[in-house]
Amino acid sequence: STTPPTPSDQQPQIIPLRKQLKDQAKAAKLSGSPKKKLKKSDNQTVPGWDLTVGIEIHAQLNTPSKLFSPASTPSSSSDDAVHHHHPNTHVAPFDLAIPGSQPSFQPTTLIPAIRAALALNCHIEPISRFDRKHYFHWDQPSGYQITQYYHPFARSGSVTLYPRDGIAAEDGEQVTVGIKQLQMEQDTAKTLAQPNSTHYLDFNRVGVPLVEIITEPCIHRPATAAAFVRKVQMLLKSVDACTSGLEQGGLRADVNVSVKRTGEEELGTRTEIKNLSSFKAVEDAIIAERDRQIRVLEEGGRIEGETRGWSLGSMETRRLRGKEGEVDYRYMPDPDLGPVVIGGDLVERLGETMGMLPDEEVGVLMGRFGLSERDAMALMLMEGRLEYFYGVLEELERMLGVEAVEGGEQRHAMLAANWCLHELGKLAEAEEVGEAAAEEVTSQVPEQDLAAILFYLHQKKVTAKVAKDLLWDVFRGTIATGGVTEQIDSQDLWYKEITEADYAAIADEVIEGQEKVLQDFLKFKQGKSKAYPQGKLGFLVGKMMRAGPEQGKGMDPASAERVMRVRIEQVYLPRLEDAQ
Amino acid sequence: MLSRSGLRGARLRVVSLTSQRRLLNHFITHPPEPIPPPPPPAPSSSPSPKQFTLAVKDNIATTIPGLPTTCASGILSKSYVSPIEATIITQLRARGAVITGKTNLDEFGMGSHSIYSHYGPVSQDTPPETSAGGSSGGSAVAVANGEVELALGTDTGGSVRLPAAYTGIIGYKPSYGMISRYGVIPYANSLDTVGFLSKQINPLKELIIGERGLWKEHDSNDPTSLTTAARKRCAAQRRGYRSRQGQTTELEGLKFGIPLEYNIAELDPEIRDAWAAAAKRLQDAGARIVPVSLPTTKHALAAYYVIAPAEASSNLAKYDGVRYGARDAEGASDASAGGVLYASTRGKGFGEEVKRRILLGSYTLSSEAMDNYFIKAQRVRRLVRRDFNRVFALENPLQERETFELSDLPEEVEMEDKWGPEEVDFLLCPTAPTLAPKLKGVMEQQPVDAYMNDVFTVPASLAGLPAISVPMKVATEGAAGLQLIGQYWDDARLLDVADAVAKEVRT
Repeated sequence: STTPPTPSDQQPQIIPLRKQLKDQAKAAKLSGSPKKKLKKSDNQTVPGWDLTVGIEIHAQLNTPSKLFSPASTPSSSSDDAVHHHHPNTHVAPFDLAIPGSQPSFQPTTLIPAIRAALALNCHIEPISRFDRKHYFHWDQPSGYQITQYYHPFARSGSVTLYPRDGIAAEDGEQVTVGIKQLQMEQDTAKTLAQPNSTHYLDFNRVGVPLVEIITEPCIHRPATAAAFVRKVQMLLKSVDACTSGLEQGGLRADVNVSVKRTGEEELGTRTEIKNLSSFKAVEDAIIAERDRQIRVLEEGGRIEGETRGWSLGSMETRRLRGKEGEVDYRYMPDPDLGPVVIGGDLVERLGETMGMLPDEEVGVLMGRFGLSERDAMALMLMEGRLEYFYGVLEELERMLGVEAVEGGEQRHAMLAANWCLHELGKLAEAEEVGEAAAEEVTSQVPEQDLAAILFYLHQKKVTAKVAKDLLWDVFRGTIATGGVTEQIDSQDLWYKEITEADYAAIADEVIEGQEKVLQDFLKFKQGKSKAYPQGKLGFLVGKMMRAGPEQGKGMDPASAERVMRVRIEQVYLPRLEDAQ
Repeated sequence: MLSRSGLRGARLRVVSLTSQRRLLNHFITHPPEPIPPPPPPAPSSSPSPKQFTLAVKDNIATTIPGLPTTCASGILSKSYVSPIEATIITQLRARGAVITGKTNLDEFGMGSHSIYSHYGPVSQDTPPETSAGGSSGGSAVAVANGEVELALGTDTGGSVRLPAAYTGIIGYKPSYGMISRYGVIPYANSLDTVGFLSKQINPLKELIIGERGLWKEHDSNDPTSLTTAARKRCAAQRRGYRSRQGQTTELEGLKFGIPLEYNIAELDPEIRDAWAAAAKRLQDAGARIVPVSLPTTKHALAAYYVIAPAEASSNLAKYDGVRYGARDAEGASDASAGGVLYASTRGKGFGEEVKRRILLGSYTLSSEAMDNYFIKAQRVRRLVRRDFNRVFALENPLQERETFELSDLPEEVEMEDKWGPEEVDFLLCPTAPTLAPKLKGVMEQQPVDAYMNDVFTVPASLAGLPAISVPMKVATEGAAGLQLIGQYWDDARLLDVADAVAKEVRT
């Protein structure tokens, strides 16, 4: 194992990231480090065949009310957690299609919708309209869904993806995905399957506003498709447009897949794979469907335009319904609903107040706080983690005072980022925290307590080891909120650095029997090798740190290194030279 | 409107009418005691409004226990008591309405003779013989029979005006957007309006343009209800709203248009004669009668029978037996394996005419037929509205002013019919092309022939204009209706003028 992190440790450690980050890391590995060879299993292309993918994403808009009724949305009532889970409590007559009830468009739903469209670089249409899309299903009480088929509220957008977003290496430095349109529509009810082919219906979700994002068929690599969905999620979150991400059910993705032989003009017949619920599923389903289509075509068969399904972990997509089973939705303008007129002033205002978009924010995190691209992306991709980081940082900066913060040096910010990602990540991976609770780690570590720990660590008032122990105590609740300082006091955990003489004594102890190592330093001194043996020095300092000071006292690796270097140069090398 | 003794009288007559009512079949639900209005809010200084009896078409939602809302359909059945009350019911009860019952109709308002009801056909006389018209036939009979002073109907393509004409009473369809449709179970939302049936015009005037006139009341529950600002703007361009003082109903100087295209081959000569006689009477009273051309008229009926069924097929998709209404549980469980959960419930629940219109509407909305039917019908609808805007002296306050040239009229219109800018106050035409037919004949009729009855009423519906049918004397026994159509939101003047016209043409 490596040297434990220390107060002056600036390099973030490589810690296995959480599940959500794994595929991102995988893709980043592909694109980021050209040293590593592309493995066949990466499976982004098939020689002789071109893949074309279009994506439809449904995102639940973050609004207090449903799209056409004043009923509150389940996600908006977080103040009443019990109520939230009660079926059929967020329901107005219109949501149940009570005869004679009428839609009542809730204009506030436009705010997140327009923000979503702006985040996706769309043109906002001044006039849009609602249409009815007819099909029978028990989760759709009126027999139709109100959507925007003929006149969507936003069109002609684009999303640019970079290697850090996890696009396939074959896509180079960047890919721009065209967005055909965005439309507002109603969500459906939830079906709760019971034994004996009974189904319970929960109408809380029915009529909750969704925005459907439809891309042009312009994606050609499976990893890039997944990266696109991930980036859309990140964009929507950054403008507070949607309730939750793909894996929490706030986002749903359908993909349209077709293949053609390289060189052919016409796109092949496409199939649609519905309801993909993770980024991995998006990539894996596209790969599986592409390979299935190629197999069929190579065997001389034909691709049928059909709807297919995919379940996580499977190797094949499966047929849900064919063309003959396709529903004619009989789109009709809703005769109860007038046009939606969106003023330029509203669009302008929402654009101005939208805040930073992710690409800009990555730049800020890297530029201003000196984070690595990877850490910046990781912070942004984890549910609520970026906000948490900002909270901790603000508190830490308040404690450090303005002078300490305003210089170019952003060591404290990097420290905070490192802990928000990796040290909290360790908590999440601990056995006592289930996978499901991983997102909630931050809720168990109040921002002010982490900031206090980091403050003392940054000021070298406590050692890294003590700081980590404190974090665990806070996490487990053995330290009450706001009790970090008191704990350090009562347990006498303040860092007491050993003296120069103590450092020298430990250095001497460590060097004992390391004559071979010392030869390297000598070679450098005598000009026989060009590079200073920094690695060897680190090895010796590491031994020093492990040898450790006496109980209750602390060592600073920077001091240890400084003393070790001096001892070697002033004491041991002269001795060796003398011996020569 | 009705004195206490009058109410007692009505109640006595109700008892004596029980057996007759069974034969006429004009009520679906008729509670033994009428339902009085709710008491006014407690600290009320204003006196309770005068009470009046009201019959309610059974596609208007009532929440009163014992008053289910069936739409005359097997799919809702008498077990369905609505959880929401129609705004018009709330409004009328607050104005003193004593509800006597829910009246029979063509299922969901689809029909012209009130014969397509789950609860059997309506007749206007005993033994059942003569059509009461439809679809608000039950409401018309309740009024004609003297059982109630006012009845609520709905008018999508003539469903209030036609039964009024057949039963010899007054049927009024207000401007679209004036009366809230909330709680009115839709047949075709873009055409549906609440309508009123009465023997006299005065109660209608009181209701619409009186002190508590409904014309002022926007309903936020109905997205097609005109906003208060729009109501004021429209009224400002009309007479008869702001001050009811000194309102005279002088026919002198008014200009009535006779639409040439309404003189169709199918028009009963007796009606044609009565129409001509009525025009002559008005002329004698000082009005000017001028011919006008509404060239799109001949396409209007076809457009209506594309648009209305299309909207109906969509509106009726919600009746699946899952949340309310009748459910064919046996059929559902049989079919659920095949994935057609609702087929049996809908197949058994809907009547033949409703099914016919759902099929028609589903077809015209299908991707292969949409462009040829629904889109074209919408285009015709705009042309119909344009026709009206061209002939009325008043502008349509909901539309940009257009300039019309006679050369805009289609080539087929004879030059002599291309009348100059004889812009008129009202259009004058029959309500229906024939007298009330016998039920027997009606039931043997082809459905499309029955659609013909709506030829004079449909254009005003397509354009959202106010129209009223008043009884018109015909040579033989029997009732016919004379229809007045006004420009949009000209309801106040329409009611005033209809009053004067009714007096001229009644005898």
